[in-house]
Amino acid sequence: MGIQFKEVSFQYPGWGKQFFEALKDISLTINDKDEFIALVGETGSGKSTLAQHMNALIFPTSGTVEINGVPITAKRNKKIKYNSIRQQIGLVFQFPEYQLFEETVEKDIMFGPKNFRVPEEEAREMAKKALNMVGLSDKYLTRNPFNLSGGEKKRVSIAGILAMNPKILILDEPTSGLDPAGKKLLMNLFKSIQKETGKTIIIITHDMDLVYEYTNRVLVLNEGMLEFDGTPDYLFHRHDIDKWHLDYPATISVLRSINDKFHYNLDIYQKTIDAAVSTIAKAVQS
Amino acid sequence: MKNVIIGQYIPGSSFFYHIDPRTKIIAVVVLMVATFLLETIWQVLIGFGIALILIIAGRVPIRKIVKGLKPLYVLLLFTLVFQIAFNRVGTIVLDATMQISPFSILFMIAATIIWRLLASFKKFSLLLFFAYLVGLFFIMKNLAFSPLWTTWQLTIYDQGLIMSGFVIIRLLIIITLSTVLTLTTKPTELTQGLESLLRPLKAIGLNSEDFALIISISLRYIPTILDEANKIMNAQASRGADFAEGRLKDKVVQVISLLVPMFIIAFKRSEELADAMESRNFVPGKPRTRIHDLKFNYRDLITTVITVLCLAGSILVKVL
Repeated sequence: MGIQFKEVSFQYPGWGKQFFEALKDISLTINDKDEFIALVGETGSGKSTLAQHMNALIFPTSGTVEINGVPITAKRNKKIKYNSIRQQIGLVFQFPEYQLFEETVEKDIMFGPKNFRVPEEEAREMAKKALNMVGLSDKYLTRNPFNLSGGEKKRVSIAGILAMNPKILILDEPTSGLDPAGKKLLMNLFKSIQKETGKTIIIITHDMDLVYEYTNRVLVLNEGMLEFDGTPDYLFHRHDIDKWHLDYPATISVLRSINDKFHYNLDIYQKTIDAAVSTIAKAVQS
Repeated sequence: MKNVIIGQYIPGSSFFYHIDPRTKIIAVVVLMVATFLLETIWQVLIGFGIALILIIAGRVPIRKIVKGLKPLYVLLLFTLVFQIAFNRVGTIVLDATMQISPFSILFMIAATIIWRLLASFKKFSLLLFFAYLVGLFFIMKNLAFSPLWTTWQLTIYDQGLIMSGFVIIRLLIIITLSTVLTLTTKPTELTQGLESLLRPLKAIGLNSEDFALIISISLRYIPTILDEANKIMNAQASRGADFAEGRLKDKVVQVISLLVPMFIIAFKRSEELADAMESRNFVPGKPRTRIHDLKFNYRDLITTVITVLCLAGSILVKVL
């Protein structure tokens, strides 16, 4: 099971016969277990469009997306319950403003479960659990979501999707607009969710440090084409990733320039700052 | 929502695009008045012919105009039915006894099913509809057999047909004219033209500049807000609020889940816009210069001449 893309193309309509081709002939398979995937690429490369295909919010212009065995094609099929697909695949949008609407945080998080016919009490329980999962205490349950800070709104919006208990969790730039501490907290949260439940998590991000440190698979999109599909290690060992408008993680860039300037021969492929620091410390001591 | 053509500018470079918006607005208003002066079906047919020639000469895509008429099909159809059913002037064209029986009702249901099936192919839908109407007529007239439940009399007078043709063509001309105006004029130009035309009203307290600013900002934000609405819909759909499936009770909550973020985002956006305008030294009510000044050229002269000729023509046929 999971998500399979088979030669998927997608075009946004434009004036007359012109259209914008957002995705070109994409084929890939995503398992619904034990994957932590980063979807990267420059702005306008089709990342969000690809993510929206994964829970059938938009349909491919050609090709098939198979979501947990249900084929999604260009035509809306009346036999398919698209809604149940969206329960299995949770998609968190980039801006929490687009989804918060209730007067309390609790009610807002309960909106998703209740749409999927979860009984009131159970939904309440799920809301509480989801809120704690994103690192907010119970006293937030009665707060008004519009009076929260940007980071708190973001976490509430993620809790709103988590409460639906999806098999695969997709997050569109979950760390944008967050302070470094909040960023770390969220990424660690995703990591622990992934470890504990074995859910596949897909994040769209521009932050290569996070990609390198946390994920175990990277999809690179460039101008609507899937250019790379593999481990972050393999990706950052390449020397031509700037042709896809990507950067190297800070650890790699720093260690590489230390190597160049001081003619060391350090192992530059360190995933975390701590690992990089200890590599440098070792070199300095010896 | 993509069918709504009023207010949709299509980039192009033909004659109509280079006319001063003020000339265009006045010309369209005058031509509409001229259309209403016409009294017989032949006159409106000629008017329609002139409108068609102008469209072809201006290379306005006719397909786009037809598409823009779509929301008005119901109105046109209603006019047709109303005129044919209730106009009792002139000579009788058709006088038939309509019979209703279990058989004819069965046949009518069958015809409806066939019509809907064929209509799903989406070609010649209007033609199909007329074929369906003719079919219904034929069934009620000839295929009733016994037992008869009731009968009614369908009487069509020639004036009914002529009047419905007249009203429909007149509507078509007016819609075509206004569509051509909006297709070939940028919304910003349109408001600039309106502002310029309404300036004399300052004497009675209506500030046309504020008015034009309000309109142009509203127009500018229609696509943005539609886009935003789409995003909100997607965000809520991914939380299970499917606007296509689902029960009525749920739909109420779902609509609220769409409206609340819409309002909040719209308010936030307007505050940001106000700040952005002020930070670029916009002061309400102060005179402003423009990048594009409206200028009168030979095309406006030609337009004016043609418009005046049309008006004079329709006044002439009315008086004579």
